[in-house]
Amino acid sequence: MTKRTSQSIRLVGKGMPRVDADGKVCGTTRYINDIDYKGILHGAVVRSPVPRGILKAIVPDAAFDWTGITLATAKDIPGINVVHMHDRTMPLLAEIGGEIRYRGEPVGVVAAKTPELAAEAARRIRLEIDELPPLLTLEEAVAIFKSAPGQLDTMKEQDIVKGDIAKGFAEADEILEAEYRAGHQEQLYLENQGLVVFPQKDGSILSEGSIQCPYFPVHELNDPLKLPPEKIRVRQTPIGGAFGGKEDYPTMLTGYAALPALKSGKPVKITYERNEDILFTPKRHPVWVRYKTGFKKDGTLTAIECDYILDGGAYLTISDVVMFRGILHCAVAYRCDNVVIRGKVARTNSMPCGAFRGFGAPQAIWGIESHMDAIAARLGKAPHEYRLQVHARPGDRTPTGQLLTEENGSTACLKLALRRSDFAKKLRQVSRGRLRKGQKKLYGVGMSFFAHGSAFTGDGEAKFKAKGRVELAALENGKPGVNIRVSSTEMGQGVHTIFTQIAADALSLDPAFIRYPMADTGLVPNSGPTVASRTTMVVGNVVHRASLDLKNQIEAFASLRFFQGAPAELRASQLVAKGRKPLPFAKVAKAMLAEVGSASGFFQFVLPDSIQWDQQTFKGDSYPGYSWSANVAEVEIDPLTCEISVPRVTAVIDIGRVINPVTASGQVEGGLTQALGYAVMEKIGTGRNGLYDAARLQTYIIPTALDIPEYDVKFVEYPYSFAPPGGKGLGELPMDGLAPAIANAVEAATGRRLRQIPITPEAIFEALHAGKKGTP
Amino acid sequence: MSTIKRTWKVNGKSVAVRAPAGRRLLDFLREDLGLVGSKEGCGEGECGACTVIVDGEPVVSCILPVGQLPDGTEILTVEGIEKKRAGRLIQQAFVECGAVQCGFCIPGMVVSSYALLCRNPKPSVQAIREGLAGNLCRCTGYTKIIQAVKLAASRLPKRK
Amino acid sequence: MKTTEKIDIRFPKTLAEALRLQAREETRGKLLAGGTDLMVQWASGVPAPGRATSIWNLPELSSIEIFPGHVEIGAGVTHAFLCDCPQIRAHVPALVAAAATVGAKQIQARGTLGGNAANASPAGDTAPALLVTGGSVVLASLSGTREIPLSQFWTAYRQIAARPDEIIVAFRLPQKGKARERFRKIGTRRAQAISKVMAASRILVEKGIIQSAAIALGSVAPTPVRLGAVESFLAGKSLSPAVIDEAERLAQATVQPIADIRSSAEYRRWASGRLVRDALENL
Ligand SMILES: Cc1cc2nc3c(=O)[nH]c(=O)nc-3n(C[C@H](O)[C@H](O)[C@H](O)COP(=O)(O)OP(=O)(O)OC[C@H]3O[C@@H](n4cnc5c(N)ncnc54)[C@H](O)[C@@H]3O)c2cc1C
Ligand code: FES
Ligand code: FES
Repeated sequence: MTKRTSQSIRLVGKGMPRVDADGKVCGTTRYINDIDYKGILHGAVVRSPVPRGILKAIVPDAAFDWTGITLATAKDIPGINVVHMHDRTMPLLAEIGGEIRYRGEPVGVVAAKTPELAAEAARRIRLEIDELPPLLTLEEAVAIFKSAPGQLDTMKEQDIVKGDIAKGFAEADEILEAEYRAGHQEQLYLENQGLVVFPQKDGSILSEGSIQCPYFPVHELNDPLKLPPEKIRVRQTPIGGAFGGKEDYPTMLTGYAALPALKSGKPVKITYERNEDILFTPKRHPVWVRYKTGFKKDGTLTAIECDYILDGGAYLTISDVVMFRGILHCAVAYRCDNVVIRGKVARTNSMPCGAFRGFGAPQAIWGIESHMDAIAARLGKAPHEYRLQVHARPGDRTPTGQLLTEENGSTACLKLALRRSDFAKKLRQVSRGRLRKGQKKLYGVGMSFFAHGSAFTGDGEAKFKAKGRVELAALENGKPGVNIRVSSTEMGQGVHTIFTQIAADALSLDPAFIRYPMADTGLVPNSGPTVASRTTMVVGNVVHRASLDLKNQIEAFASLRFFQGAPAELRASQLVAKGRKPLPFAKVAKAMLAEVGSASGFFQFVLPDSIQWDQQTFKGDSYPGYSWSANVAEVEIDPLTCEISVPRVTAVIDIGRVINPVTASGQVEGGLTQALGYAVMEKIGTGRNGLYDAARLQTYIIPTALDIPEYDVKFVEYPYSFAPPGGKGLGELPMDGLAPAIANAVEAATGRRLRQIPITPEAIFEALHAGKKGTP
Repeated sequence: MSTIKRTWKVNGKSVAVRAPAGRRLLDFLREDLGLVGSKEGCGEGECGACTVIVDGEPVVSCILPVGQLPDGTEILTVEGIEKKRAGRLIQQAFVECGAVQCGFCIPGMVVSSYALLCRNPKPSVQAIREGLAGNLCRCTGYTKIIQAVKLAASRLPKRK
Repeated sequence: MKTTEKIDIRFPKTLAEALRLQAREETRGKLLAGGTDLMVQWASGVPAPGRATSIWNLPELSSIEIFPGHVEIGAGVTHAFLCDCPQIRAHVPALVAAAATVGAKQIQARGTLGGNAANASPAGDTAPALLVTGGSVVLASLSGTREIPLSQFWTAYRQIAARPDEIIVAFRLPQKGKARERFRKIGTRRAQAISKVMAASRILVEKGIIQSAAIALGSVAPTPVRLGAVESFLAGKSLSPAVIDEAERLAQATVQPIADIRSSAEYRRWASGRLVRDALENL
């Protein structure tokens, strides 16, 4: 406990050590697979061996001993066989007579005493399927779009229109058009998916596990399980990484485990091994994006036209919102009066894609930030000078018409990143395809500039009304303290720590009094999912306000009970009243708990009325606030082998008020490293059999400690004043812009623009030498 | 199946081992001894989350059959690291430097860092990167982990 | 029960005992050294055998000896031990460099030279470095030992010239003497990486003339390969840019790589020549 002074507590802005670090470094934190559940069954999913076809029959092997094994199929679904995600099209399990739409689509779930027996039983089930020809990849879908746009099978479409695009092109001196592509990316959280479903006596279920958004299963499985929300309780165990990968999918896993659990009356646990986790859980959407831009000789952008197509996989799940976020980031960072963006989610016969840090924005930014360099090159301008000229800043309007306020540090990010990286000077040293004197490697430097909208799109937060409580309670050590009750989950990003800081400051209480129990839908109000870079800004504000509310209550109680009505203040863990001897918080809290029972502060988030959004036309204020960033990447390419390395990366970031600089820079370094993998090594293709080709850690390659650059991470603070303490979104931004910065650096190094990631040695080789004999 | 009967020292304590010879050391530690600090991230030697120290060398316990460890084998897991001075320094440095996020890779990281500092108490940054290259982390970008190992090394008591 | 738990593993204490077990089909087991290849294969679906014979830590396989003119490295020597042995580096530096790129520390601590060679993956890191020494493999069985040249050891994709009753006991490798060695691996990343292409070379240049050249590549064919055509082209030549260009071209013309998850055929073909250039430019 820190020294008591009469000063108030100030933790926001400081690098307070994480509240959960001790257990993690000592190995005492218990993840789902570390918990010794007694008397449970283990589930295994029975999957379609083909990517498309009509399911005719499910035939368990008669020669196999099925005693003690529970098999659940669509027939065992108590309610309607449909999962309620963003539409109601996806069955929980494929039905006989129904269409199988992707390889590995679940058809049944078996549960047995051991995982090995369950796996064996799953293998003993034969499926009779009349195969149909599949459409497996985005590449095939885009070919259809190009030849016959009307025939593209889309699950969702949305346009953004600003100004008059025809006029914009008419005014242009030049037009530049190009396509950019990116494939799937696997989240690769180190802890695989896993949870246990406990059937309860009253017919309800409890699902406990590595679940990023506990309230999702509560509201998405009501149809198939025939259970109202209050009969689906979800509890989080410590999460070994998620990055979006445990956002939508645990709903499915809860559903799979619930069926044999309800049928057998026993708890059922399903955990995936790495191979199954990579093959059959959602990934980042592959993208094809085409930009057609018009601009004047002086550089003024007169028209931006963009087609943005995501591979949604076989069902929509949450892809509509991923696409929305994508198109909202396609042109948000630049001044242009005439914009058309057409977003589409294409249907393919592949595992539905899902959430992954960035949520459509990295794909959009990959395109536009590559394209901006191409425009600058066409104009003969340096990439940084061109961005300084046309970037969006306070006073400008976004493609949806949102006015950017003074709370946007876009210019500051740009300028500071250029200065810290010494960009202009380094740009003079780039190789452009030929080694300069003294260079052994082709050297390049490149940049990107981008925004990331914080919180739900548009007025989503106004509609959602995130709720949270901060309550006085007896802690596990028997002493009085405070529990933070919100549904934001700790996945490693540090929310338990920063909310402790926010609550401690608001209450003026030593953090030793504060606890943040794991989210449990039976105990916490719905403050919303831990997604969309909304947690610090929205839920942080809820915690702040609920803490102030509780503080008022404590002060009022102390005033009456101890100070004869004299106004009391909770300051630095003491209750002080003028002319009286201060009382320790613990004493007052104990009395309050004994005499009043529990007390809690509550808050429900509101958006300022000024936020206006039309979901039909996609016009208005698309996000309550924006975080900004500029990245600079330096690359070296070995002309001998085309091997690429990234020795240095600079990232300057405006995330508003920085609550904890240590966890914040950790988020940035981690996100940048995922983006590095996306840019230069992470590659996963689809075979003709519909299976991913890199389904193990030996083949799905992510950066190691030897692959990372030296990072220079710096924050500039333009706080979001409406929601104290003023944080904006941080989680996703670091993933957004490094890939194009690297591609731009590769262009500077080699003189070739690569329009597809990852930029592997093979890709560089092809760009430089394909079809050519000999050496460069 | 063949069964082995052995006596090892695990985290300084004598342990009687009776298990199928082909049982993975990771399963034996987690299931038979309840030492669940070592994690399984891949089961094929790639991620390092299951790293433990066997007779002074860091190994991945997910691909090590227990039968290959003779009587007298000394095993150190994350649970035993705390009792070692260098181990505690490493753990503290991880906490101070913010090197921990989701934590799933961290037991393996701590063990690999310990193995590294035992062999090389003053490692260069390059040596730290090499020493940790068999431990994947998807959260931190390694930067703060490398800083933490450097910090721990700087606090090690000087050896003659 | 996991699949590996069902295996009946024997733990002979001596090489003689192991050879006796391997001699008869009824007692013979899959040889298990560090297990870093086998345990992974069994975990990822390759059917586990009923029996295995552990040769991990057999004293007869665990030493490194230096003789005049050649070195003898036990098949059970780990990559870590090889990297830590200062004397050996002077004589077979490419092999040591190769061992240092196998996996990462944890894998090097368990993976053995014999296992890497016997696993016979075309991407096995030590194979090209072994090949360029012109050395041989010492095989033992109950009926005695025999030596086969490394150039005849890898017979086809994942096939070796050892009989089922034989155990690799050592590698007998001529020292490099005045020649220069080089090893370079293009991997999927900087550590814990399987190679896309790799090359080892041992080249002796005297008074500007190439006296002898041994160059081997990995990951470009079903087995590790020596580049005979390039080697004979180089012999007797002086090291000029034109000679290097031609050696690169010849290498690219010789190899017939395939595409797989790690790389494309075109890149591998090109990079094969590039690595030959690298060897010649860094003499
Ligand atoms: C994470 C990871 C990374 C890896 N990275 C690399 C890498 O970068 N480069 C690389 O080349 N390899 C790599 N490997 C593969 C492996 O580590 C090496 O091939 C290692 O050298 C194998 O040795 P071992 O003793 O573990 O072999 P084992 O798995 O014990 O055996 C491999 C094969 O050799 C046979 N065998 C073993 N010893 C003998 C003997 N004395 N006589 C006859 N047959 C024998 C076995 O029967 C088996 O068929 C990696 C493995 C893992 C798990
Ligand atoms: S679990 Fe052992 S290395 Fe991944
Ligand atoms: S802290 Fe999450 S994987 Fe390393």
